[in-house]
Amino acid sequence: MDFRLTDKQIEHRKECYKVCAELAKKKPKSWLGFESQFDTEEGWEFHRYCAREFAKRGWLALGWPKEYGGTGEMMEKVLFAEARGYYDLSGADIFGVSMLAPTLLAAGSEELKKEFLPKIANAELMFCELWSEPNSGSDLAGLQCSAVRKGDEFIVNGQKTWNTGAHFADWAFGVYKSDPNAKKHHNLTFILCDMKSPGITIKGIPYMSGSHVYNEVYLDDVRMPAKYVVGQENEGWAVVNVLAGFERSNLDMVYGLVKGLEDLVEYCNENKRGGQLLSRDPMIRNKIADAACQLEAVRTLAYRVADQQNRNEMGLMDAAAVKVFASELMEKYAHLSCDILGPYGQAKHSKFAKMGGIPEYMYQGCFVPIVSMGTNEIQRNIIAWYGLGLPRMK
Amino acid sequence: MDLRFTEQQEILKKSARDFLTKECPKAKVRELAKDPKGYDPALWQKMAELGWLGFNIPEDYEGMGYSFEDLTMHIEEVGKNILPGPYISTVVNTFALVEAGSDEQKKDLLPKISNGNCIITLAWFEENGLFDASGITLKAAHKGNDYNLNGAKVFVDSAHVADYMIVVARTKDGSGEDGVTLFLVDSKSAGIKTEVIPTIADDHLCEVVFKDVAVPAKNVLGKVDKGWSVLQTIIRKGSILKSAESLGGLSTVVEMTVAYAKERVQYDRPIGAFQALQHKMSDMWITMGTSRYLLYEAAWLESNDMPSAKEASMAKAYINEAYKMVTALGVKLHGGIGTSADHDVPLYYQRAKAADTVYGSTDFHRELVAQQIGLK
Repeated sequence: MDFRLTDKQIEHRKECYKVCAELAKKKPKSWLGFESQFDTEEGWEFHRYCAREFAKRGWLALGWPKEYGGTGEMMEKVLFAEARGYYDLSGADIFGVSMLAPTLLAAGSEELKKEFLPKIANAELMFCELWSEPNSGSDLAGLQCSAVRKGDEFIVNGQKTWNTGAHFADWAFGVYKSDPNAKKHHNLTFILCDMKSPGITIKGIPYMSGSHVYNEVYLDDVRMPAKYVVGQENEGWAVVNVLAGFERSNLDMVYGLVKGLEDLVEYCNENKRGGQLLSRDPMIRNKIADAACQLEAVRTLAYRVADQQNRNEMGLMDAAAVKVFASELMEKYAHLSCDILGPYGQAKHSKFAKMGGIPEYMYQGCFVPIVSMGTNEIQRNIIAWYGLGLPRMK
Repeated sequence: MDLRFTEQQEILKKSARDFLTKECPKAKVRELAKDPKGYDPALWQKMAELGWLGFNIPEDYEGMGYSFEDLTMHIEEVGKNILPGPYISTVVNTFALVEAGSDEQKKDLLPKISNGNCIITLAWFEENGLFDASGITLKAAHKGNDYNLNGAKVFVDSAHVADYMIVVARTKDGSGEDGVTLFLVDSKSAGIKTEVIPTIADDHLCEVVFKDVAVPAKNVLGKVDKGWSVLQTIIRKGSILKSAESLGGLSTVVEMTVAYAKERVQYDRPIGAFQALQHKMSDMWITMGTSRYLLYEAAWLESNDMPSAKEASMAKAYINEAYKMVTALGVKLHGGIGTSADHDVPLYYQRAKAADTVYGSTDFHRELVAQQIGLK
């Protein structure tokens, strides 16, 4: 085995860290983490600013084929994600850059690739997803939103929920039931649409912390041109699976934890309780060391996923394992840092908070990676059914 | 970056697996549990002939000269099968000899070990329960040109059949690392009393009492008073290899449990169709995957002479708990039969408990990790 990166990869990683370190200094005061990009105007502006800086360097097209303006290789995309995660930045539109672009490359027509890839690469368009519905979360294939073909467009009606960032996004990708009579999994169509289209109403769903990240999106006779269908009409489910299969190694989440643990060690090294440094408390030492061991375990597995993807091998089971483990480690980390802060664990980001109020923010925010992108229970089902070959639920 | 085994490594692994399947089936494991020696000398010779004892010993000393990474993979296969006896102990101790042994010691012992004619075990842990230097109280008093050892060691692997013991003793008053010396002690020396302690894994760990045991000065391993750093090498390499054995064991239990869940039928379907069991098995699988690359990162660093102390301790601390967690679930998911002496899962469950304090407990290694990550 060889855990080393090539010289070129090391250079690229250094450069990513350098650029992200500089951008991190410009975070607005209200910035607590990745979700902050959706919560305030200044958050969104900062996200766009970072995106333009990354676009300048071609980093939003890392790993794409050269003919579509791509640069570098998959591993460089992963290292870029690592640096962003470490500094808790956004700037790489998770929907456009991480999900839609690879999907268009794999399943989109030449026209769609030509129209959208350049605009994703240069940070001109930000996307959101019109995906889940009130009655279709985990069981997405059972969705109800209708798309009726009328000439060269679809008329779309229904309600989407748990959308991220529709209130700021320029365009959306979505999936709708286009044939009410066909069998499940062969009745959906994947369509792109302009968020400025008439008939779209956005209503925020406040997160438990009060921040505005998520939305309900109501579609009333929204007209979506048929040329914006990705893949075949009625075969949108296959496109959904292509999109879901683009496993991110989740190194951004892992490296967010790397930084978080460093910050926790620093806090314990600099703060006393009862006249003694927190870092001298044997229980704190044991718990932080335990977290560090778990983090290194998932970091090495995440690199294994990245290595597989770099070779164009699918590491779907390992990727599912990383998603479950890293998200649940983040929850444990949030609890651990709050515990160490004692009553200060409850203090929100303010002059009163310790560690910038990040522990409180994470204590509430940690559910997001657990219940989204396929809940951890669904991930465990996937591992059981496709990794271990256990009987699938009918 | 390439986190795959090479074709050559896959061949090595398969040959180890095939050998052990044939030569050490579970019937033999159970036999050796009750056997007074606790290992099979004839099997030991066969292992020696295959180069297993001299795996990492330099070719100059009649060894195979393989890499530490290869050895780690090989030990993972050993762990999958279970191999009773002081194999890992002996192999780990050879590193101490290679690192700190005098020319005479190396010339004398390494070929013997490689050829299967010398079993060498580590006598470190004492009744006080401490893994750090303050736990070393066995005294080695200077007597003329030689030393006199007095004290007792516990949980010494196969001391009753070992030819030599590396004894961790105190040559200078105090409780720090300075003043600890390692001695190569011939187990046939006068004054040594050895008794096998009954243990959960029936692995023949011994209490060894030293009363005025004379050891010649030429048997000091490394430098007088400076033995702790050699012990640290043993701890570091031993942690990685013991973790490899544990990873092998836990992967076998995952396989067995999934296979059983597919075949055992209740309520008109395989019990593996029930989500509660599926999720536990997925957790076992996730635990295995996260253990694997942490282990091989530590092995790779060690194999390439890069700093590895942090990763070795992380691997030991993590995999200690992983092995116990997976084997406990393995027993439970088999239901009643998982608790039976006739079933194989309990063999692994017992070994998971035995492994978690060899070369340092989880808490001992977490403290080392705490230091390594900069906690003041």
